Amino acid sequence: MSVQQDIREKGLLGAAAAAADDVFTRITAGIDAGEFRRMLQGEPPGRPNPRLKPHSEAFLLHIKPTYYHESVTRFTHTFRLGLLSTYLFVVETITGILLMIWYAPSPERAYVDMIRLLTNVPFGQFLRDLHRLGAEAMVAIVTLHMVRAYLTGSYKPPRQFIWFTGVVLLVMTLFLSFSGYLLPWDQLAFWAVTIGTSMAEAVPPAVVGETVNLLARGAPDIGANGLLRFYLLHVLFLPLLLILFFFVHYYKVVHFGISLPADEEEVGEDTANRVPADKRVYYLPDVAIDEMSFLTVITTVLILITVFFFQAPLEHIANPQSTPLHTVAPWYFYWLQGLLKIADKFIAGVLIPGVLLVLLIAIPYLDYNPSRRGRDRKVAIIAGIVAGIVMIILSWMGTPEYAVEGAPSVEIVQELMPEEGSGVSREIGYTHLPVGIWRTDEEYEVHDHEFEELLHEFREAVDYYRRQDPDFNAPIGQLTITQDQPSLKKLHWDIFWYDAQGQEGNYEKSFWLHEDSMYWEQYGLKRFFFGYISDGWKSLSGAFSGE
Amino acid sequence: MYRFFVRSPIAKLLWGILASLVGIILLLLVLVSEDVRMAAQTVNWEGRSIENGATLFDNNCATCHGPDGRGLPGVAPALNSHYFFTDTGRLADIEWTGSLKDYVALTVAAGRPSKPNSQWAQLMPTWGSQFGGPLRGDQVEDVTAYILNWRDSALAQSHEEDPFQAFQDVRNPAEFQNIAFLVLSTEEQEAAREELKAQKAAVSGPTTPQELWISQGCSGCHNINEREVDVRGLIGPNMADLHERAGSQVPGQTAEEYVYESIINPRAFVVPTYEALAGTMPDTFAERLSEAEIQGLVQWILDPNRQQ
Repeated sequence: MSVQQDIREKGLLGAAAAAADDVFTRITAGIDAGEFRRMLQGEPPGRPNPRLKPHSEAFLLHIKPTYYHESVTRFTHTFRLGLLSTYLFVVETITGILLMIWYAPSPERAYVDMIRLLTNVPFGQFLRDLHRLGAEAMVAIVTLHMVRAYLTGSYKPPRQFIWFTGVVLLVMTLFLSFSGYLLPWDQLAFWAVTIGTSMAEAVPPAVVGETVNLLARGAPDIGANGLLRFYLLHVLFLPLLLILFFFVHYYKVVHFGISLPADEEEVGEDTANRVPADKRVYYLPDVAIDEMSFLTVITTVLILITVFFFQAPLEHIANPQSTPLHTVAPWYFYWLQGLLKIADKFIAGVLIPGVLLVLLIAIPYLDYNPSRRGRDRKVAIIAGIVAGIVMIILSWMGTPEYAVEGAPSVEIVQELMPEEGSGVSREIGYTHLPVGIWRTDEEYEVHDHEFEELLHEFREAVDYYRRQDPDFNAPIGQLTITQDQPSLKKLHWDIFWYDAQGQEGNYEKSFWLHEDSMYWEQYGLKRFFFGYISDGWKSLSGAFSGE
Repeated sequence: MYRFFVRSPIAKLLWGILASLVGIILLLLVLVSEDVRMAAQTVNWEGRSIENGATLFDNNCATCHGPDGRGLPGVAPALNSHYFFTDTGRLADIEWTGSLKDYVALTVAAGRPSKPNSQWAQLMPTWGSQFGGPLRGDQVEDVTAYILNWRDSALAQSHEEDPFQAFQDVRNPAEFQNIAFLVLSTEEQEAAREELKAQKAAVSGPTTPQELWISQGCSGCHNINEREVDVRGLIGPNMADLHERAGSQVPGQTAEEYVYESIINPRAFVVPTYEALAGTMPDTFAERLSEAEIQGLVQWILDPNRQQ
């Protein structure tokens, strides 16, 4: 139909409206403007339902089911954890690709690139913090997703295979997070990954373990090769594999439907795919609006946390010659570190995690109870809760709180001024550290509240270890603060004590603190960001008014 | 109430729009503050670099250069020293044309392996891993940042406070090093340097032209022996037959004037066919040589019966 004829028949306005509607329908893959308005007004669809067309026309929508059972759309049934996991993966992909622009995976460049990202790239720190937050949130959300599926018994037939792919996805999320850990090439990254890969070494027989370790590290120790391998795992191999398993997982979820709340169907029945007409909630528009608004709110929450609260740590550059005092794994591997403290490397690092993984995959086959109702599954639920508590206890044992005590003198200095991180000394900062000699066995008139706090904690720490350790008698701590250079103070820690035999002991350690150094933890809740806003605003309004 | 504010599609849309607005405002706040934040991060990491350098200096350098960088007599020179940081100090004496940062970084990285028998008890070791030393590139940078951080306190030192020890490896004799306190203005410094050259000449007698020809590097480019076979004339003009041409090269200049000017200001006249090489010859001989030395050199070059 030619344009002229169209105008002759409908008039100019009518023809324009029809053309606009045509464009609108193409964009929405089959929903015209009138139908769209009726959707927003909450009117029911006509028959046959014109709102199903996008599911057959649009690629992204053909994966989604056209309608859900009303019961499974309730927030408290799934908490949208699966959707959230997927969304976090998308966030990680986008921020990750942007971060790749400023990153080269070589020991000479990686750490310098991190500093360059923080100092010279607008939104660089934001991207890094968001990527890190997203990664940690993803591990947490995927785990919670699994816990939810376990507690609602959603792994039971016919959904065993969904559970299996879910376990694979959890393992891959952990590996993805862990492989990204090494990339900043700081002490935190280097030693966490050194410990992690050394567990692979315990795989018997020795030749296999050594080979696996060598393949992961690319050399006997982590270096340029290991970094490149972890980088490729992190940005290419694992994401592609995860995408594959995600689609298998999601296809099966759509195929069998999300399991209904257990009370709504008979024991042993699965009616998720037989939804009565009056129980149907269509994806378009109800579920789509729900998911979109949910993800928008989540995005804003992520931005809010990133801007005001969360900072990705960056310690000193990786140094294979010096192991920091309390090396820790990422928090989601604390339980593994806890196990390693009470059992040997093979049992704790290979056997138990391997058995746990097999058990996790085997749950649908071990649990022959056909009922998904909580009151029928007391054993399963109690077992799950016990397992959770054991994990939490093991995680606590994984932290330096448990069973890693160095010499008292070392621990005292580590507490007040650790090698990595801040400690009270760096928290109170350069200006609150007056030059002088300060001893724990003397009282001082200090008019600086923050420094008083430091001296107090120093005395407390020395006193604590005096009571704890019989080899640490009559201890005296001494802090000597000198102005080493302009804007650079030297903090020299000296601890003197007598051991049980009356031998005199002495421990010394020096640290320097520059006036401009901002230690991450120093600012707690990113307090300083408000200062930046006001300063930035001042310079911006100055630029506008031509100053 | 719950159904209306949370469950209805309109409420959900409104929540979504509200969240987007808050998100956009947050991103705008970040945008506004980025310049200030980046500036703060820059000084933060510079500060960290100095802290790292302090530890490295304490572990590796302090034994010779002193814990406060003021050097140890006869062991190693002072770094926390006015002489080290001032423009007329160390860099001028060794005729270093780069920055102090480059000088420090290079000296730390490469060390002084070529000077085993210098005035200092210890040889400066090679530190940079690229030359076989123990420190990585970033550690060399950290130590350099730490050493340069003495600038303010060093430049505030008076002549008496400066832990300067005279060097033997520079042209200026000990009594004419560290002269920044004696003279103030550029002119006075210039005059002091002239005086220095004159005194130097008076002490040891002017260096002979033959020695200068070799030591100043003239022989590297100019041929002065064989007038027919123009062996090195390709790099710089041949000088064996210069006494025949010098008087007629530039109208209005005698042979002596022409050669004198060519030494102190090589670009004033470029011999035809050597245009592409203009600028190769250093233009610093006026500062390096005394007046008497230049005059001697001119006479010697123009002497047809000169002795080799």
